[in-house]
Amino acid sequence: MSRTIVCRCEDVTIEDLKQAFAEGYRDLESLKRYTGFATGFCQGKCCTAHAARFLSALKGGDDTVADPIRTRPLLHPTPVSRFARAVELLEDE
Amino acid sequence: MASARRIKPIEGNPFDPGEPVQFQFEGRPLEGYDNEPLAVALLAAGVGLFGRSTKFRRPRGPVCLHGHCSGCLMRVNGVPNVRTCQTPCRSGMVVERQIGWPSAGLDLFRAVDLFSGKRLDHHAMFTESSWLNRLAGGVVRRLSGLGEPPSADPKKPVPVSRFQADVVVIGAGVAGLAAGRALGECGHNVVLLEAEDHRGGRLLDGATLGGWEQVGTLKTELESVSGIEFHVGTPALAVYPGDPLEVVAGNEGKTFWISARRLVMCTGAYEQLPLFENNDLPGIFGPRAMDRLVCGHAVVPGEPVVVMGDRDETLGLASRLAELEVKLAGVVTARRDAKALELLRHKNVEIFDERRIVRAHGGKWLDRVEFAPPDSPQSDLVLDCRTCVAEAPEAPAYELAHHAGCRVSFSSQGGYTVVVNDECQTSNRSIFAAGHVAGAASAAEAEREGQRAGLACALSLKDDQKIRERLKSL
Repeated sequence: MSRTIVCRCEDVTIEDLKQAFAEGYRDLESLKRYTGFATGFCQGKCCTAHAARFLSALKGGDDTVADPIRTRPLLHPTPVSRFARAVELLEDE
Repeated sequence: MASARRIKPIEGNPFDPGEPVQFQFEGRPLEGYDNEPLAVALLAAGVGLFGRSTKFRRPRGPVCLHGHCSGCLMRVNGVPNVRTCQTPCRSGMVVERQIGWPSAGLDLFRAVDLFSGKRLDHHAMFTESSWLNRLAGGVVRRLSGLGEPPSADPKKPVPVSRFQADVVVIGAGVAGLAAGRALGECGHNVVLLEAEDHRGGRLLDGATLGGWEQVGTLKTELESVSGIEFHVGTPALAVYPGDPLEVVAGNEGKTFWISARRLVMCTGAYEQLPLFENNDLPGIFGPRAMDRLVCGHAVVPGEPVVVMGDRDETLGLASRLAELEVKLAGVVTARRDAKALELLRHKNVEIFDERRIVRAHGGKWLDRVEFAPPDSPQSDLVLDCRTCVAEAPEAPAYELAHHAGCRVSFSSQGGYTVVVNDECQTSNRSIFAAGHVAGAASAAEAEREGQRAGLACALSLKDDQKIRERLKSL
């Protein structure tokens, strides 16, 4: 099946975004929560700008409507071992 | 399968491949080089399909080659979800693909994609009865997810190093290096964090435009400045605003908790692919990824190659490919004046007028690409190719700054950028931003802005007439 993939981590297509918009999810945060873009491994590095552009275009090119989604650390895939027992392993300076 | 080949490494190459080694890929011995990324070794050995997507089980392969995307994830030595583009290929490594039943090569759940029509609405599926919903939920949970739990021993916790710095610069691309140099020259103690294993950022992907030489110059200049502490392979993970600012970063051996008086964000931008049908097919790369593969690691992922784009970097890459005798099926561009086009014509590469990609075709790897004129939905050009280089606006890496409370703004062309004043200061007065994350359009501009941010940041720590004048003269 030919699909235009917006978010490769979660297989969110442009059709999914159109449907979500039609159902009333018309800000970026709601679009994200409904379709699941930006919730995969890359955490939105490859799809957030595309989705924001899509939203801005559907709202008549109004760039001010596309407030960013909530950003949360960690911003990079990180093994738990980097933080496990962090307080115990704190080195004295 | 990809028809990849290795070429002779380009002189002045900053990526040293190291010694030849052997590793295991799903029971088969494959050859690679000790220092090259595993993803590159796999591509060079003819592996094109790296895995499957979670929902539609569509083929996946490396895309960004800079550690941002999820295209190259594999199970390595019993650890799932390893970014093979950021993992050196070491002797004896055991590498497996992680999604697909019975295997990634032949995944029966691919049927979900082939027969599910235009949309697969998981919000409405199996909601007719609560019994059916519970049953389907159980099945889907088994099928989905990103690989199996690790079989390797858990990694040992790493020590945490807590210290103070005048300034932390995040990102050792062209802007970060320039900012670090300026701050060091002003006598401040600077910690420079870089997520990748190499300093230079996009300069490393601009072989054609003199990027490698410029990295060399910046490095030499930085070595003569004291008070700069470098950490490569050490991404900043979180920034907490306050006085001081708290920065958390980490690498294989250590976690850092740095209390800093000022912060300079030079996080750059993520390369993106344009939106078109089947834009997720392995074999489609952005120009920076392709530059890293061919110029940096001397591997051509598949031939012939089609290049679509208008930026100097993209056309420069096309002409470099022609120079390296890589087979080109065509270059599609709106540009008429670029110097690179002369060389391409001289090499008898066909150049097509401005078009956009409407569709890619292929099974597990790219076979051909369809183009249409800008304002028409009807395609009028089909090019057979095994690699497609497609340019799209980059997406600035605004997240760390946004999380720290800095104001960002959106534009359709530029994505989200961090808002800065004339002195590169963000809405948080202790945080400065420069380079592509703050809207710079070229490496030259990023270097200038990096320097400006460095000087302005130094000035905010200690007033000094000389620095004030230097800043003014920029």
